[in-house]
Amino acid sequence: MEIEAKHFKELYKKQIVKDRLRSNLSKATLQAVDSREESFKEVDFQFLRAQAKMIREESVSHLNELLSEFEDQARKNGCNIFYAQTPEKARAYVLDVAVRNNVKLIVKSKSMVTEEIELVPFLSEKGIETVETDLGEYIVQLAKEKPSHITTPAIHKSRTEIAELFHEKIGTEMNDDPKFLTAEARRVLREKFLAADMGISGANFLIAETGDAVIVENEGNARLSTSSTNVHVVVTGIEKVIPKFSDLRIFMRVLGRSSTGQKLTSYVSVLRGPRTEEEKDGPREVHIVLLDNGRSSLLGTDHQEVLNCIRCGACLNVCPVYRNIGGHAYGSVYPGPIGSLVTPMYFGEKNAPDLPFASSLCGNCSEVCPVGIEIHHQLLSLRHEIVAARKSRIERFLFKNYRKTMLRPGRYQMIGRFARALSKFSVVRRIMKPWTDYRDIPEFPSQSFREIYKSGKLN
Amino acid sequence: MEDDREKIFGSIRRGLRQAEQTDAARENRSPLKEPLSADFQIRFEKFNSELVKLGGEAYVLDDFKGISDFLLRHITDDAGVFIYDEVSGIYDSALSELRSSRTYKLSTDFENDYDKRDVAQFGSAILPCAACIAETGTIVLRNSMRLPAALATRLFVITEPVRLMASLDGLFTDSFRDAGGSNLFLVTGPSRTADIEKELVTGVHGPKEVYVIFHKE
Repeated sequence: MEIEAKHFKELYKKQIVKDRLRSNLSKATLQAVDSREESFKEVDFQFLRAQAKMIREESVSHLNELLSEFEDQARKNGCNIFYAQTPEKARAYVLDVAVRNNVKLIVKSKSMVTEEIELVPFLSEKGIETVETDLGEYIVQLAKEKPSHITTPAIHKSRTEIAELFHEKIGTEMNDDPKFLTAEARRVLREKFLAADMGISGANFLIAETGDAVIVENEGNARLSTSSTNVHVVVTGIEKVIPKFSDLRIFMRVLGRSSTGQKLTSYVSVLRGPRTEEEKDGPREVHIVLLDNGRSSLLGTDHQEVLNCIRCGACLNVCPVYRNIGGHAYGSVYPGPIGSLVTPMYFGEKNAPDLPFASSLCGNCSEVCPVGIEIHHQLLSLRHEIVAARKSRIERFLFKNYRKTMLRPGRYQMIGRFARALSKFSVVRRIMKPWTDYRDIPEFPSQSFREIYKSGKLN
Repeated sequence: MEDDREKIFGSIRRGLRQAEQTDAARENRSPLKEPLSADFQIRFEKFNSELVKLGGEAYVLDDFKGISDFLLRHITDDAGVFIYDEVSGIYDSALSELRSSRTYKLSTDFENDYDKRDVAQFGSAILPCAACIAETGTIVLRNSMRLPAALATRLFVITEPVRLMASLDGLFTDSFRDAGGSNLFLVTGPSRTADIEKELVTGVHGPKEVYVIFHKE
């Protein structure tokens, strides 16, 4: 599966010059940072983080046992379980379920894994209308774009752009009031919910001991997608499993706060399977598709901890790189610091060779991560791997000689003199242009410190 | 269609490395800096303050007359009211005036499935709840209320003070886990979004108004 992340260098150059995008992003991410800080005041963040980290580590390091337990429980609850190693297999299964149930219209709630496997374009290609129902996702679907943030997909768009989009695509009057635009989306999407034959969602957590799928959201669209149709398909990653129902007391407290600065999101659905005989609503068929797509290959490697991620998006909001280039520059469904890790890991380093370098390594991301992933250390480690694999002869030559130079004072002085002399020629500045385009290069002094010291001019 | 279970489990087993023992272990202590007391009034004040921040409202009403007046005051349109049978059974006299002056349907009036177009027409839904959480201003619904709770414009929950828990620690316990049913649904205020320039708007898909009544009698 080839993805746009391969062309990161071209993509970010296009995005970084968009002043409006940068201002939208700055406003939105800084607001999210403030809300997050405020929301953690009432609870002991360090305690919650230590607990969340411990539970996620336990979950990932016992993945086979917990997945088996989840599978057994979910089957007992009446769910169908399907394991898919690749996106192709997952897509084919969802299509098969839709075809068997004669589905014409699907309502879908927000799910990163369905983005990862490009499920919506696939189903639409097969003639099944699939509508994104999360407001942000609906906006990017209408615009034929991709989400640019894990939790706020249309963060890159201004209200005016959205008003123009709604006017053009769904015929609303030109009015950029968010209340008006939201009401229009409610009107259009309500009709879709009522007409839909199947619902698709992701899952934030899968609980091994009960077989529950847990979905957190704010709009109510996931609730409607999972209960207004006869068939509900959950598409999620194998790493989402946690051991116990009681572990939710930790994750519910960190997820909303980290993601949107809420003590708890507006809706949390803990779904245990199809409707019971006494119930008068809810799906009669529930399918859970568990996707691997490279996740299991991270087990046992130095990058195992990346699987602990709960996709809160906090690392994006604090990242100075993300704030300046936005999500589309990453060319991946997973942007920001965590995306720079996950994308090369899920889609292959060849598909995203530059993403681990899209970081200042300031460590803000690790600081806010609610499950304690050392994101910036992981990025550095991935850089090492990529550089080692490249085996560039020029780089190796340069670093070998750099080492020799630093070990021999005579050689160091000679090269210093040579560099100072060379810096006077304009050709040198031209060669360094890619570097100096974005940075000031200081004037070289005419003498080295050692020479000045020896001449006695220091005072 | 044959799935990839064995391949995936093979890959997991090959790679699996047990996490290094960390100092942390599951601790049952609450992460709240100031745990709430068991006193109902204190819990209610916290619950209400959280709910009001989110755009909802909570009340303690002493008698059926109070509940009846409250509902009549807040349900002024004739879009119809969905009443869950459990509420109807307990609060029959509180609902009698509402029933005589507004269009309504009881959950038991639906012989088989709820018709989703029918349920979507209701302006209000009156439901019972399994619990309320003071820490977050949350209502916990269980079973058979998936569509009414999500489709109505106004959501009313009538419950008893004993169901008001201090924190999420009381909810995510074995007793709640084992209570059965096909789903739990936590509602914390009206449906909301900040997807357009981070401006908060309520009532995206779910209820625009949420009211919780604690019946003290």
